[in-house]
Amino acid sequence: MPHTHEHNDGDHEHPAAPMVDEITDFEVLEIAVRELAIEKGLFTAEDHRKFTEWAESIGPAAGSRLVAKAWSDPAFKARVLTDAVAACREIGIDWTEPTGSGTPSDYMELRVLEDTPTVHHVIVCTLCSCYPRPLLGHSPYWYRSPNYRRRIIRWPRPVLAEFGLTLPPEVEVRVEDSNQKCRFMVLPLRPPGTENWTEEQLAEIVTRDCMIGVALPRADRKADDVRPVHKARRPVPDAHDQREG
Amino acid sequence: MSADGEAPAAGTELSPILLLETMRDNDKTWERLAPRYGVTNPDPPWKVSLYATCECLAAGEALPALERRRAEDRLGETLYRGTPAPEQQLLALAHIMLSHGLLSEEDLARRMTAIRSRLEAS
Repeated sequence: MPHTHEHNDGDHEHPAAPMVDEITDFEVLEIAVRELAIEKGLFTAEDHRKFTEWAESIGPAAGSRLVAKAWSDPAFKARVLTDAVAACREIGIDWTEPTGSGTPSDYMELRVLEDTPTVHHVIVCTLCSCYPRPLLGHSPYWYRSPNYRRRIIRWPRPVLAEFGLTLPPEVEVRVEDSNQKCRFMVLPLRPPGTENWTEEQLAEIVTRDCMIGVALPRADRKADDVRPVHKARRPVPDAHDQREG
Repeated sequence: MSADGEAPAAGTELSPILLLETMRDNDKTWERLAPRYGVTNPDPPWKVSLYATCECLAAGEALPALERRRAEDRLGETLYRGTPAPEQQLLALAHIMLSHGLLSEEDLARRMTAIRSRLEAS
C-alpha cells in the first residue's frame, strides 16, 4: 500500500517506492535452498555475500566505457585488441574479482572482436551461456535461451533481422562461439554523427546489444530497443533442414 | 556432446518432483506479481541471490556450472516449460540439487515451512 513519510528535517515528503507485499513460495524456496546449502557446508555465508555483492555491481556500463575509450584513443584500442583483460584494468574492471581468480563462470580470457565496414561480429555461447559478465553484466534471458543459441549459428542474418538488424549482403557476418576458455565482446563501428563527442557522450550510445552484436550503435539511440517476442520458427521454412522445432 | 546441450545432464532425474510441482503457480511469478503492486523492477529481489548460490555451488565444486546449465536447459525445455525465466532457473536449481542428493525433499519442505513462519511472524 503506497504511503508517504517525512524525513527528519520535515521539509519534504514523498511516497515510498512500491513493494510486493506478499511472500511467494518462490521467494521462500530461494532462501531455503541457500540456507540448507550453507548448513551442509557446500559454501559459506561469507562466500555467498561476496558473490552477491559482485553480482549486484556488474552491468553493461563498463563495456560501454571500454568501447567509448577505444573509439577515442587508438593506443587504448590497440591494447584492447591485444590484451583485453589488461585493458579492462585501465577502466577499473578487474577480472579477478570477487575471488582473486575470477568466478567459476568468468574465465579470465577475453577477446574483443573489432567490427569493420565489411565484417560484423555477433557472439553466442552454444554450449551454455558464457558471457563477458565483468564488462556486460548478466546476460539477457534471450541470450541464454536454447532458441537463440541454436539458431544464430545456423541462420545469423535472419536471426539478426529479428532484432531489427539487417546487414547488406556485402558485409560478412561472423558468429563467435564462446567457450569455457574464452569470452568475446564486440567492438562495434563508431557511427557517423559522433565526431568530436566526449567519451561520456559516446558511452551513452553503446548499448548492451551493440556489444553482443545484435544491434549497431546510432548517434540518436541511447537504449536497447524494445523487441517483439518471436516464437521459435524456421526463418525461411523451405531453405533449412527440418530439425528446428 | 552436441553444441546445443543434447547430451544427458549427468545425474539429473527429469521426472517431476512433487514438492516443486505444488509450487508452480504461474500467478505468483514475478512478471504477474510485480504489476499488481505497481513494481517496475523487471527481476525479483531474490534473483541476484540465486545467481550467487549458483556461483558458490560451482566454486565449491558441489555443482559445476556447465553441468548445471545443461540440466537447466533440459528441464527448461521439458518439465518447467512455460514457467518464466527467473522462477524456471530457481525450480531447476532445486530440482538438480534434489536429484543429485545435495538436498532432500523432506529437509527442503520442512525448511520452507519454517522460513514462511519466520517471514510472516508479526
